[in-house]
Amino acid sequence: MNEKKGERLIVSEVVVMTHAYGNRSGVRYMTGGLKVYYVPWKPFLMQNTLPTFYGTLPIIRTILIREKISLVHGHQAFSTLCHEALMHARTMGYKVVFTDHSLYGFSDVGSIHMNKVLQFTLADVTQAICVSHTSKENTVLRSGLPPEKVFVIPNAVDTAMFKPALERLSTDEVVIVVISRLVYRKGADLLVEVIPEVCRLYPNVRFIVGGDGPKRVRLEEMREKHSLQDRVDMLGAVPHAKVQSVLISGHIFLNRVFSSRDQVLPDDMIVLAEPDPADMVRAIEKAIYRLPQVDPQAMHLRMKNLYSWHDVAKRTEIVYDRALRCSSQNLLERLSRYLSCGVWAGKIFFLVMIIDFLLWSLLRLWQPDVDIEVVPDFDPVHRECGDFSGDMEDKCSQ
Amino acid sequence: MVEPHSITNGGYTYIHDVDKGPIEAIDTHHVIARRNAAKSVIFNLSSFILIANPLFLFFVKDKLAMALLWSLILCAFFVKLFFQKPIEKESVIIMPAFGVQLETHYRSGRIIRRFIPIDKILKAVVNECVTPVTCYWTLSLIVRGEEELTLVFKEFRPPLKLLVPIWKALCAATDSADNPDAFTQEGSGS
Repeated sequence: MNEKKGERLIVSEVVVMTHAYGNRSGVRYMTGGLKVYYVPWKPFLMQNTLPTFYGTLPIIRTILIREKISLVHGHQAFSTLCHEALMHARTMGYKVVFTDHSLYGFSDVGSIHMNKVLQFTLADVTQAICVSHTSKENTVLRSGLPPEKVFVIPNAVDTAMFKPALERLSTDEVVIVVISRLVYRKGADLLVEVIPEVCRLYPNVRFIVGGDGPKRVRLEEMREKHSLQDRVDMLGAVPHAKVQSVLISGHIFLNRVFSSRDQVLPDDMIVLAEPDPADMVRAIEKAIYRLPQVDPQAMHLRMKNLYSWHDVAKRTEIVYDRALRCSSQNLLERLSRYLSCGVWAGKIFFLVMIIDFLLWSLLRLWQPDVDIEVVPDFDPVHRECGDFSGDMEDKCSQ
Repeated sequence: MVEPHSITNGGYTYIHDVDKGPIEAIDTHHVIARRNAAKSVIFNLSSFILIANPLFLFFVKDKLAMALLWSLILCAFFVKLFFQKPIEKESVIIMPAFGVQLETHYRSGRIIRRFIPIDKILKAVVNECVTPVTCYWTLSLIVRGEEELTLVFKEFRPPLKLLVPIWKALCAATDSADNPDAFTQEGSGS
């Protein structure tokens, strides 16, 4: 729906708020009349420090009031604007939904820092959305959110771009495609053991390996050792635009995943295996055996229906509905949730929220809510305005 | 002569005056800043306290207090400057088929005027402006030959309700200039 957003469910209007990019700053209207605020906020050098935390309070408050927002939806991002927006929205009493995309891991410094910030945001969110069941488990464990508050909505796939080949490949030869970074984490070592074994068992199987990485050398060595130069094609790094063409040149796609994207595919479209060479060979055998029954076009149509953006939008609206029906909590109840975040982290979070509340109260004294003008209902597509008779023109602001 | 029509909103008063001249009516729109009595009292009081404090210190200790005194007087000066707008009134005088005059009246009595001929005005637009701390509406003119929009109100930020009648009047004047026969044509899109 939107990044770092606010929206009105009553008339299902959505307003997007984000950082300014280059000279794209101010208010813009996108296709369909989607209004986007590009806030020209330049964070301090260290993006995650406190001075920026409260700096966005005035503009966020102004936007939330003038657009008559009822719910704020933040998407996980490295930008602090999302977390700040959600924090301020909670302080001001709005319902908040957060989508956890789990795009990064846990080991590097940036991720550790971000995880703490995430814990803070998740401590007091009305509803949360995760993109897979594993991600939901992870989120629930990390944040202590009750599982009923977390919804799973997998990302849609760009089914228009990833279409199967028009002509079916011949089944005399079975082509197995591997596209991944050739690193330990992605199972490159396992490939080194699996490929010669499969090639030995099935003389009609060929491999196409796309991707680059430190383990590529080992794969090249394996190729030479077993004389598989004509049966294993090493493509090197594949540019994103070429991925689809590489994938459609094969029958089977082999991949190692950590997150549970595997859980989102139906059983007949995927064969799972333990990260063990023998088990993997068995799984590949199973896949080869299933191959004659597979119809790529039918599969594509099924995926299209399962994972369309319309479906995601419908499910997201259900989450919004649920969030709006949640009862409002008073300040003390909310603050006590922060204290349970950790021994010292909890106290810091608690303090941060208290200061936010005080600053908001001061801001309300300085500029009361009624002084902030509400934007009149305006349909930029049809150029009709509800409150004023006649047209009201609105151009992109400088 | 039409009675001056006034609206008060958001700290500004809008007065619309129509002067029936010998040939055409001259449309005058004034936006006057309302002096917030409570605010003035508070800030005068705080300025006084800022000045009085170091004086008190001066009688207790000496050198440090002098520095404090000067810095605090400076603070008070800035406070006064910052919170009291030097502009008393901004006006838009529309002379149909001739041009638009933008005037800024300062409290000191100085008046700055700018005249834009009617054929140079392509369109009057109402924009939403976003700053790092706030979001407000502005009324501007797209002037032929100029790269940037010409703000009608240089310093004031009147609320939308006050800008719309002025915008409509400007649109009507520019459109009637384009189409001298169609006097009552509505403002249309670009």
